[in-house]
Amino acid sequence: MEYYFQTNCAAKSSEWTDELHELQLMFGVKEFMVIAPATASGVVLDVPEASKLLSSVAIALSNCGSIWPAFVPVHDPTREAFFGIQNMGTIFTRRFDADRIRSQVPIKLMHLEGLHQLFLSKFGLYATDFSTNFLKVKFLMRLTYITPPFDGEDDAQVREHEVSQSPGKKDIQTYIKTIWDDDYPWSNWYSAEDPLKGFELTAIWSEHTVDDSLEMEELENASVFEAEKWLLSPVLELNMTDDPMGHFIGFSSQLRLLVKALDASFEVKFIEDLITDGNPASVPSPSVLDRVLKGLFHDGQIPDRQHDHGIGGTIKGAPLGSLFAQFCLNALWFGNCNIHAIAVLWIEFVREVRWCWEESQPLPRTMTNGRIDLSSCLIHQKLQMLAICIGKKGVKRDVNGNSSVSDVDKDPPIMTEDMHEERLQAVEAFGDEFSFSALLEREILSSDMSAFKAANPDAVFEDFIRWHSPGDWESVENEERSSASESVRMKGDWPPRGRLSARMSDHGNSWRKIWDESPSLPASEQKPLLDPIREGEKILHYLETLRPCMLVEQMISSAFKASLDTLSQTSYGDLKQMKLKIEQLYKTISTSLKPLRGNIVADRAELIGDLVRLCAVFEHVEKLLIFAASIRHKLADATRLCEAIFSDFYNYYLPKMGTGSSNICYDKVFKSKQLIKAHEREVIISLFPHPTANQSWRKVLSMGNLLNGHEPLTREIIFLAHDGATDDQYGRNVPRGSPGEVCTHRMYVCGTSNDLQVALSVTSWD
Amino acid sequence: MNSSSSNQSEFDYLFKLLLIGDSGVGKSSLLLSFTSNTFEDLSPTIGVDFKVKIVTVGGKKLKLAIWDTAGQERFRTLTSSYYRGAQGVIMVYDVTRRDTFTNLSDIWAKEIDLYSTNQDCIKMLVGNKVDKESERVVTKKEGIEFARKYGCLFLECSAKTRVNVEQCFEELVLKILDTPSLLAEGSAGTKKNIFNQKPPQADASAGSCC
Ligand SMILES: Nc1nc2c(ncn2[C@@H]2O[C@H](COP(=O)(O)OP(=O)(O)O)[C@@H](O)[C@H]2O)c(=O)[nH]1
Ligand SMILES: [Mg+2]
Repeated sequence: MEYYFQTNCAAKSSEWTDELHELQLMFGVKEFMVIAPATASGVVLDVPEASKLLSSVAIALSNCGSIWPAFVPVHDPTREAFFGIQNMGTIFTRRFDADRIRSQVPIKLMHLEGLHQLFLSKFGLYATDFSTNFLKVKFLMRLTYITPPFDGEDDAQVREHEVSQSPGKKDIQTYIKTIWDDDYPWSNWYSAEDPLKGFELTAIWSEHTVDDSLEMEELENASVFEAEKWLLSPVLELNMTDDPMGHFIGFSSQLRLLVKALDASFEVKFIEDLITDGNPASVPSPSVLDRVLKGLFHDGQIPDRQHDHGIGGTIKGAPLGSLFAQFCLNALWFGNCNIHAIAVLWIEFVREVRWCWEESQPLPRTMTNGRIDLSSCLIHQKLQMLAICIGKKGVKRDVNGNSSVSDVDKDPPIMTEDMHEERLQAVEAFGDEFSFSALLEREILSSDMSAFKAANPDAVFEDFIRWHSPGDWESVENEERSSASESVRMKGDWPPRGRLSARMSDHGNSWRKIWDESPSLPASEQKPLLDPIREGEKILHYLETLRPCMLVEQMISSAFKASLDTLSQTSYGDLKQMKLKIEQLYKTISTSLKPLRGNIVADRAELIGDLVRLCAVFEHVEKLLIFAASIRHKLADATRLCEAIFSDFYNYYLPKMGTGSSNICYDKVFKSKQLIKAHEREVIISLFPHPTANQSWRKVLSMGNLLNGHEPLTREIIFLAHDGATDDQYGRNVPRGSPGEVCTHRMYVCGTSNDLQVALSVTSWD
Repeated sequence: MNSSSSNQSEFDYLFKLLLIGDSGVGKSSLLLSFTSNTFEDLSPTIGVDFKVKIVTVGGKKLKLAIWDTAGQERFRTLTSSYYRGAQGVIMVYDVTRRDTFTNLSDIWAKEIDLYSTNQDCIKMLVGNKVDKESERVVTKKEGIEFARKYGCLFLECSAKTRVNVEQCFEELVLKILDTPSLLAEGSAGTKKNIFNQKPPQADASAGSCC
């Protein structure tokens, strides 16, 4: 024999407290003990054995003055049947008896009326006799509803629609299952399992006094709105949050594969080598490749910079929606992102880019505004530069008409970051031979002067200085302000009187020399400072000869950025913790990817390890975000509830986040039960749409207490009978229902149409 | 060899050629002379320059992408990447400066071995500035011997007078056209676009991966 003790010292505030042990709930007791065979389940105590055991226990307990109830299991363990006994002082004894039917429940017991009669029968009375005030019966009820599957609604609509459209073809209805995340930004890439399977609604009726069985029938038809208390708890798809095997497929899983590809890329010298020895089975078929390329190059929208997350800018990757960012996102899902598949996709990608170049077709998804985004990765810069070169090469020079000063091209030279470096190198290389930067300055200056001369045929050097570099012109007027009258200035005197600044006087001679040497030539007719053909070919050369690790490194930055940029477009309302987590992840990515810049990898194993850990962090945020999206979608109109449940989930999930290892055991079970406020009830009801005719056929409804046509998952009721006549007669150790009344009978019933559990507590005086 | 000025995208092959050699031997002048028939005093090349010329050789329309590199040591790392994917390399020396010739075997031939990714790549030795015959210090015979030793084509020319300039490129291109592996590379980079080609046949053997 083994003894189990279970205590619950919490004040018994309600019959329906969640923390109740099931025996406490069933029998309405506080402390109790269970005496069960040590060999655990499987061993059956038959009724005589159980009674014998219980009476010996009862004697033992009374000998030591214990007033704790004791229970022994009886019958087959699946019946969860118990006998129990409690000595209550010297006079009273409470006996307990519970059993369960796990098959079709007799119709009478499916209904409240029948259950009420069952309770009354325990007094040895019939309902008809039950008209005196001798016993008062009280009734409590707890109904638990579960929301119908969320996609069921749309499914049904599709069906009905089809039926009405083509009445003759009822049997060829196509089953179109709507996927819950269809409208979310990640659904372009993968479909996530809904982490939120549904909600459990618990409606609680607190104590009612029941006069007759008819009243029970009414209760069965009562609206759920009459329940005093509503509670909502989410039902999770645990596969998603507890995923030690790593079954989750999302950006994070693909990023992990990309990190693997990076590791492999260090071994390979040239992209082409990956194709010749490539394992063809790991590369998708040509038709898949074709589809991906068409998607990439077809009418690509120009990336919308507004979506660019502020903090995301610190990740050195291509902006979301740009050609290279799209390439990276596609690569994540192409042939499961293995290095061979990446190589095939890249080579075809570059071939398409070259085609655009040769044919002077604009590069899709590449916005430049005439500038190179030096904060992005080099490949993106190169593509921007190429787009500029294609533009410049394609533009036919217009014949110069009305020229003006605005015609002068004063833009700084357009360069990618490696061109800036190259230029620095050049300055060093030519250090002694001549001043390279001075040469470049001269070129730009001369170009400006030529254009200025062309636009203003009569201009002199001083005019140019006043326009080009106003700071270098000192107006004499300023100094003679006191003597010069306003009116003179208003009339204006041309040319303005003044002189070159001291600085300009120093440079004056060389500038004047350039001025004298520059021919009058409009900007549009000048030899461009940037040779688009040369720069364009250089870029293609770069793309065509890029080393595998250089490619994958840049893909890592851009893929992390683009994945998070995509996810962060999800609308999840005003969930502050979510926003914070996303911002944190941006920062974490940005710092973790720093070692990739400059392509010097000191410790490869360490780098790969760090990146794998980064993927784990990413995965947690990704899952949290999907949860946020789901709860927000379902409770969009109950913001407070939505935030409260998310907060519960966040606190449950938080300890798991940030840890890479999946084998740490978290035994904490997710619990969230939110009290629904009166004004939120309508929103909750909308989670229970009326089943369509089609759906209701599938179910046999038998219990009553319907909520929009849905039966409760469980209906729990408690009957209490108080004997008012026994008031104060029997001393102090009397269990009291309410002051002055003795609860003599208590029956707990929990059931559906094919599972009924009944537990009875009867107090008697022997 | 005829130059063509029509739409540059219409070509059968794209070949990448590379000019190497010491600073001042006349690489840029040679390129300018070939591509625009002019000769002018040029400022030193910075890093890498590029010119393209469409020519017709043996009935085939070719796009020649010619990379002109800076000779300085400083730019070596930068220019080394341009050996990759080149079908032809032109080694230039100045017939009036012996050091530019000896540097070919000391430096430049080694560079090719180090950086060239293509074993079949055609090499060509070019002695420039033959218009300055009076100042010549490297004989033609020495050039021929070098070419034989390293297995390259050989010509002497002048970027200034345009003597043999066209021939340099033509010889090289003809040799490339004679080499099947280079020809294959040259056609791979040409026109292809997913929107104007026939849909590929679904590959039954690879059908499992999608
Ligand atoms: N006389 C003569 N001078 C040349 C010839 N080719 C180049 N030069 C001159 O040699 C100098 C260097 O030429 P450049 O093309 O810049 O040499 P690179 O450094 O090899 O590109 C310039 O002053 C050219 O004018 C040539 O064939 N004959
Ligand atoms: Mg040069």
